[in-house]
Amino acid sequence: MEKILQKKSFPKWVEKLDAYEIYSPVKKDNTWSYEIINTPGDIELDYPNAVQAPKKIINPQREVFLEFGRSDDDTLEVTEVLPEEKSVVIFGVRPCDAKALTLTDLVFSEDIKDNYYGKRRKQTAIIGLACNTPPSPNCFCTSVDGSPHSEDGFDILLTDLGDRYFVKSLTNMGNDLINLGKGLFVAPKANEKKELAKIHADAEKKLKRQVNDVEKIPPKLKEMFESAFWDEESMSCLRCGICTYLCPTCHCFDISDEVTSVAPFKGYRIRTWDNCQFPDFTMHSSGHNPRPDKASRLRQRIMHKYQYFVERYDHYQCTGCGRCISKCPVGIDIIEVLNKVRDYG
Amino acid sequence: MDNENVYLPKLAKIINIKDEVNGARPIKTFRAQLLTETNFSHRCGQCAMVSVFGKGESMFAISSSPLVKDYLQFSIMKMGRVTSSLHSMKEDDIIGIRGPLGNSFPIEDWKGKKLIFIGGGIGLAPIWSVLQFALGQKKDYGDLILIYGARTSKDLVFKEELEELRKEMTVHLSVDVEEEGWKEFVGFVPQNVTDKKPSPKNAIAITCGPPIMIKFVIQALGDLGFKDDQIYTTVENKMKCGIGICGRCNIGMHYVCKDGPVYSWAELKELPQEY
Repeated sequence: MEKILQKKSFPKWVEKLDAYEIYSPVKKDNTWSYEIINTPGDIELDYPNAVQAPKKIINPQREVFLEFGRSDDDTLEVTEVLPEEKSVVIFGVRPCDAKALTLTDLVFSEDIKDNYYGKRRKQTAIIGLACNTPPSPNCFCTSVDGSPHSEDGFDILLTDLGDRYFVKSLTNMGNDLINLGKGLFVAPKANEKKELAKIHADAEKKLKRQVNDVEKIPPKLKEMFESAFWDEESMSCLRCGICTYLCPTCHCFDISDEVTSVAPFKGYRIRTWDNCQFPDFTMHSSGHNPRPDKASRLRQRIMHKYQYFVERYDHYQCTGCGRCISKCPVGIDIIEVLNKVRDYG
Repeated sequence: MDNENVYLPKLAKIINIKDEVNGARPIKTFRAQLLTETNFSHRCGQCAMVSVFGKGESMFAISSSPLVKDYLQFSIMKMGRVTSSLHSMKEDDIIGIRGPLGNSFPIEDWKGKKLIFIGGGIGLAPIWSVLQFALGQKKDYGDLILIYGARTSKDLVFKEELEELRKEMTVHLSVDVEEEGWKEFVGFVPQNVTDKKPSPKNAIAITCGPPIMIKFVIQALGDLGFKDDQIYTTVENKMKCGIGICGRCNIGMHYVCKDGPVYSWAELKELPQEY
């Protein structure tokens, strides 16, 4: 379904979505983050991209799996805690971050299903905003099967046409949301479709960075497991882990028990994001560590995204958002690393 | 599997605890019974996540045979937070169990073959389920041989069971260094393999133990003419989810928790050395 929505009608549409919990990018301390909004006026779609991808809404940084405790007669009680049932809409999602959700879907529902992720994913509509100009100088989505107007992972994709949005619904969930705003949307005219095509084509040309011949990288990596390359590339790494925390496709987590009271005994089993750049991520209780140094951990990050994931799921586990480049405190640049890998040896 | 919460453990009662090894790295064998279900069915070599509520979960090989329906057995060395609290538990205490998890030994494909089990230390635990299963279906398999060793005789697990086992199959034991009263082989497990010279003809070797032992056992078997696809082992890595999602136990594209822990040497040698 394709429609046109005047920007001045946008708040009226959002008002009709009052049954939904609505997230939107919000400006805070000069950066953008996805927050729950209270009034349609809080939605600000003239923005680059949020520091953190909306993965935090689907796969929260901390989430309770179980509650456990002992009753008065000392019986151990364990209760599962499931995500709250509600309908959610996220506005302003960039194509790289929506595509990232389609990649984590592969992991969380390969054959064994993760109900926590699955339930949130199912009850959340993703409304995207095409990138008319690259939100970051380090954007490289077109190198990894993406584009500034990719439709992967969206229920609705909006493209800014100045005073209007070109609205494309891609799912039934998207159609339902548009139907809630009946009367506000009109059919696009032929010149508006042309305008859309031009904006999309221009947007692709505006990307400044790329990884050429990316398809050469997975087989090349396969030969480079033992290479000294990883020592050189990881030399400056501070193992802070910001690259993976901010990555929209990184999904690794820890499960641990949090005891909140000793008497009476009570606590939670929780899932929290974890990070392959941390030394104890893979350390056995014996002290043996299969990835004992920075080199093996950087190698894991690159190989997971550009070899292992490709072998397992036939996609790069990277959508070219550029966050890991922009936020690395020592300037480790995945585009440079990949270009070097391609040309190595 | 759509509606099942894969992170929810089933509660189980510890019905028996046996001291296997004392000393600095003690090993105990736990038998547990699920409180509400009796139809837990696993395959040889599969694992389970064992919970101590308030401490966390750890992955262990299920050492009881799938033919045993009354309990699940785990042999556990005291090592970290979860294993230490398991070691301080008593009979009737409640634990949680998630599983069975992972793949299993292709025991159906081994019918009619001679099986040689080669273990070191606590590595006998993952072997035990498949060994007991083969013993229970003895007519389906050829000769069964166990080559097992530990640092000292005190470090051997399942000591009483091993004596019983001698009545039904060939058992070769070893200790690493000479000790008073020891009448069997003295030396490392791979040396005992070389000494006993099992024939590769129509045989499968299953080896579990410390990584260094496995490495030299595989060499010794190779020298005896075993092909890579006649040798099976199990791999361990740190695990959290146990279902191929949390991302820490991978070796290349494989998640050991889900795609493993059982690998033939032919499969394992193709993977990066990251375990």
